[in-house]
Amino acid sequence: MAIVVELPRLSDTMEEGVVANWRIALGDKVKRGQVIAEIETDKATMEFESFDSGYVLLLVAEEGETLPLGAPIAVLGKKGEDPQEALAAFGGGSGGGEAAAPAPAPEAAADAAASAAADAQAVAESAPAAAPSAPASVEAVHVDPKDRRIPASPVARRLAREHDLELAAITGTGPHGRVVKADVEKAIAEGTGKAAAAPAAGEFSGEVDGWGRPYVSRPDDSVRLSMMRKAIARNMTKAKQETPHYYLTMDVDMEKAFAFRADFNEAVPEGTKISFNDLIVKAVARSLRDFPSVNASFDGDKAIIRGDVNVGIAVAVEDGLVVPVVRYADQKSLEAISRESKALGKSARDKHLRPEDMSGGTFTVSNLGMFGIESFAAVINPGEAGILAVGAIESRPVVQGGELVIRKRMKMTISADHRVTDGAVAAKWLTKVRGYLENPLKMLTDGPG
Amino acid sequence: MEIPDKNAPLPETLTSAGKDETLKAFREMLRIRRFEETAARAYTRGKISGFLHLYIGQEAIAVGVKLAMQANDRVVGTYRDHGYALAQGSDANACMAELFGKATGLVGGVGGSMHYFDRPNGLWGGYAIIGNHVPVAAGHAFASKYLGDDAVTMCFLGDGAVGIGPTHEGMTLAGLWDLPVIYIVENNRYSMGTPLERTLPTEDITARAAGYGMARDRFELTDPFQVRERIGAAMKRAREESQPTLIEILTYRFRGHSMSDPAKYRAKGELEAFRSRDAIELSRRVLMEQHGMSEDELDAIDDEVIEEMDAAYTFADESPQPDPEHRFKNIMIPVPEEA
Amino acid sequence: MANLQIREAIRDAMREEMERDERVFLMGEEVGHYQGAYKCSQGLLEQFGAKRVVDTPITETGFSGVGIGAAMVGLRPIIEFMTFNFSAVAFDQILNNASKIHHMTGGQFSVPIVFRGPNAAAHMLGSTHSQAFDGIYAHIPGLKVVSVATPYDAKGLLKSAIRDPNPVIFFESELMYAVRGEVPEEEYLIPIGEADIKRPGEQVTLITWGQSVPTSLEAAKLAEADGLDVEVIDLRTLRPLDEAAVIHSVKKTNRAVIAYHGWPYGGVGAELVDRIQRMAFDWLDAPVERVCYDDIPFSYAENLEHLSIPQPEDIYAACRKVAYR
Repeated sequence: MAIVVELPRLSDTMEEGVVANWRIALGDKVKRGQVIAEIETDKATMEFESFDSGYVLLLVAEEGETLPLGAPIAVLGKKGEDPQEALAAFGGGSGGGEAAAPAPAPEAAADAAASAAADAQAVAESAPAAAPSAPASVEAVHVDPKDRRIPASPVARRLAREHDLELAAITGTGPHGRVVKADVEKAIAEGTGKAAAAPAAGEFSGEVDGWGRPYVSRPDDSVRLSMMRKAIARNMTKAKQETPHYYLTMDVDMEKAFAFRADFNEAVPEGTKISFNDLIVKAVARSLRDFPSVNASFDGDKAIIRGDVNVGIAVAVEDGLVVPVVRYADQKSLEAISRESKALGKSARDKHLRPEDMSGGTFTVSNLGMFGIESFAAVINPGEAGILAVGAIESRPVVQGGELVIRKRMKMTISADHRVTDGAVAAKWLTKVRGYLENPLKMLTDGPG
Repeated sequence: MEIPDKNAPLPETLTSAGKDETLKAFREMLRIRRFEETAARAYTRGKISGFLHLYIGQEAIAVGVKLAMQANDRVVGTYRDHGYALAQGSDANACMAELFGKATGLVGGVGGSMHYFDRPNGLWGGYAIIGNHVPVAAGHAFASKYLGDDAVTMCFLGDGAVGIGPTHEGMTLAGLWDLPVIYIVENNRYSMGTPLERTLPTEDITARAAGYGMARDRFELTDPFQVRERIGAAMKRAREESQPTLIEILTYRFRGHSMSDPAKYRAKGELEAFRSRDAIELSRRVLMEQHGMSEDELDAIDDEVIEEMDAAYTFADESPQPDPEHRFKNIMIPVPEEA
Repeated sequence: MANLQIREAIRDAMREEMERDERVFLMGEEVGHYQGAYKCSQGLLEQFGAKRVVDTPITETGFSGVGIGAAMVGLRPIIEFMTFNFSAVAFDQILNNASKIHHMTGGQFSVPIVFRGPNAAAHMLGSTHSQAFDGIYAHIPGLKVVSVATPYDAKGLLKSAIRDPNPVIFFESELMYAVRGEVPEEEYLIPIGEADIKRPGEQVTLITWGQSVPTSLEAAKLAEADGLDVEVIDLRTLRPLDEAAVIHSVKKTNRAVIAYHGWPYGGVGAELVDRIQRMAFDWLDAPVERVCYDDIPFSYAENLEHLSIPQPEDIYAACRKVAYR
């Protein structure tokens, strides 16, 4: 009987995986040890070598589809064998029931006729038709236009790859629109070929505007989640489902911090200049040392008061968000925090962060000030007691000593875990943070402020 | 075919030979027989695969030819080649190991039963495509004549090989060019399993010699000394006059064509009759009746030979298989640097 | 430099090697008394005598076997087939003896022999006399296979073949025996296994050998007029294949056409396609094209035969095709 190829466990922590690319097609002959697919695991995209030999009877997994370990992804067997049988035997292969004989009889007959014609040419040409065709029982597969195979010569593919060009954005002039070397060279010379594929074509929606012009209906486009995206989804869902959040917002006067930063940066050499965020991290860290219950973690029937103050800094990257951690931030100088957070930020953007750079955080700072956000509330990183969401520093009119004055102000919001902290504690903590920020010199003293 | 008379007198060539040479020939024939019996047992145990063609019953030819040979003469054989090798002096261990497909085999395990070659001992094959060695043997003789090296080439073939084209072409050229080659057809009465009446247009194979312009000889095998005498005459012709000879020796194989042949095609009583004229048995009788040896003495020789072959079996069995890289060896000879 | 015909270059190669080495002899039908069916052995019988220039009856399997047997003893035979079509009846000698004996005997024997003669279609000889054996012999491990197209190559390669310790199949061409070319007066050898760029070019690699070499050069001229720069590689040796030369050129041009006398199914052309796709896959800009015989036995009729043999226009068209012209 045919052999069902299962989604392999390619790393010790892998629980699910994605067939990123098939390297085989229906009807191909596969040899044991041949790479048949690229499998995306939680760690990497790996080549998957077949354990079995045979002809590809069915590709069960679609490229991009996330499947649990051990899920059937393909069926190999002898030419003409029914893959559904093996799938059914494998255990509830979907659609096993509707696998009524897909036998491509007409083709076989045509084959025989061609042979009988004793025309060498005809026989030679009909040979490829002997490859098994897709069983009718499988539902029509939606092919994302971006994933469609673009005909291109190997050298054109290589050149495009080397020049970081999208084959889809290059017009092929070869037979059947094949992208050939000359097309890629032209794109390189003209600086084209970088754009993504043309937008999905729309269709007439059935509605028209006041002048009778049709509105266009465009199809949905499903975007496969990256492993990072999935991790974010998982963690944030967990956080919102399990952690009772509450939120406190405080307005901080940043005039002194502003002046302090300017003086500081003037005094230190290039490369050690600090950012407002560094000041905030430092203030947060010092405050956490003073309020251990905010530097804590809920653990069923007890709260773990964390011994170290390790402040995570949320960094936006291309496809999501990572939180590298500045360890022992309460003990580190401003310069040290600044230097470290710069290095971590660069690693994050270069995708060079190591797992240990992102673990062990006890509290997180998330800053969207650079986007002009006045204030926001962030979601707590599971395992921590709070996260401080920092908005933009803006000149705002405030009442001071009964007078309306223009001051540099900043709003910060703590999201805290109600299971280990209460509003009053968090409020005091916030006040502490504000105290440091409004008198930055306090942060330079060694003792608790 | 004529069935031999069990009660016929002992052949004169045998009775007139001396004791020592008779004993030596007896031993050599016995070595071949015991070797092959040991090989047959190994085959049944799965130690040997492929084809295994036994020479049992024909040993006197290989031994007799060797008696007639000079040091630089050549034997070119068929795929039924164990007898030639042992008679020529090939090491029984190496011969057995070759059957086992071992690195210590006569040709390192690449040849097997049908492809024995042992150049230092004058064995030039080992050819398993019927008749295709007939022109090759003519080529050896051509080279001998060209170089004047005084060597005679003896080429064996079976009765089944005389109809195939290369045999005819090779003999044509040997006759045309007066090459010092002797073609010895060992007519064991069966082409494979088909009696010769059904495969040969004339009963006398040597009748063809006239067409090739060759001398000829034909006789019923009795013993090694008979073979020495008859081959000796042909050798003299080859060496002294550079003339080829076609010889047919009527013999009988006691076993099937190969290990997988039950030999059901024989007539009743036929095998027994031929067995009674077995050269080994006749030699045994002569050694006892004429040279006063006891049964125990001869049995002791037999035991020694059996021991030698058992040792060969063990040697072959315990020898290593060829190195995996060995399969790429000896395919192309590097071109030597030009001086 | 002498200006020689290919037949004269072959004769000179044999004569020089026979003068150089007593063990070398020539054997075949009509090689002596008649001076060679295509006059490749003109004058050799007179010079070397009947011992070394041996006329044979029509016994291809016989004299091929004699050559092999003599080579095993230590002679250096040159076996001439009047045409390689007749080698078919000696095929077993080449397949089972010449190519295998060194291996089968565990290295005890070698077969330094040359089988030479005209190969492939000539003119209106019908199906049995118009066959190319390139693919058949190049298929066999244990053989070297050479195919020559110029007097210079013919002489240099035949001398190497005669000195080679292995069996060598040496293909000539009936229609090309009269082709002239420059041949040095002094001795030279061309190593077996080296291709020769007969015309350098940048845009298409045209791989060819034997009779298709002049045809391919004509095709390259047609392409040149069209602004297409074709590199013509003459393989000269079909086994062992000068893979490096082919791949180097294909990586440069990104396109390959193979033009040769021979059937399309399997064979040297197919072997080249395989190596190119494996070793230069990421450099290919178009599928590799082959221009060779139709997949049929040949016909006698002139028009039909002409259609089955690669013509310059066919090869030029294939060059255009791979260049997307």
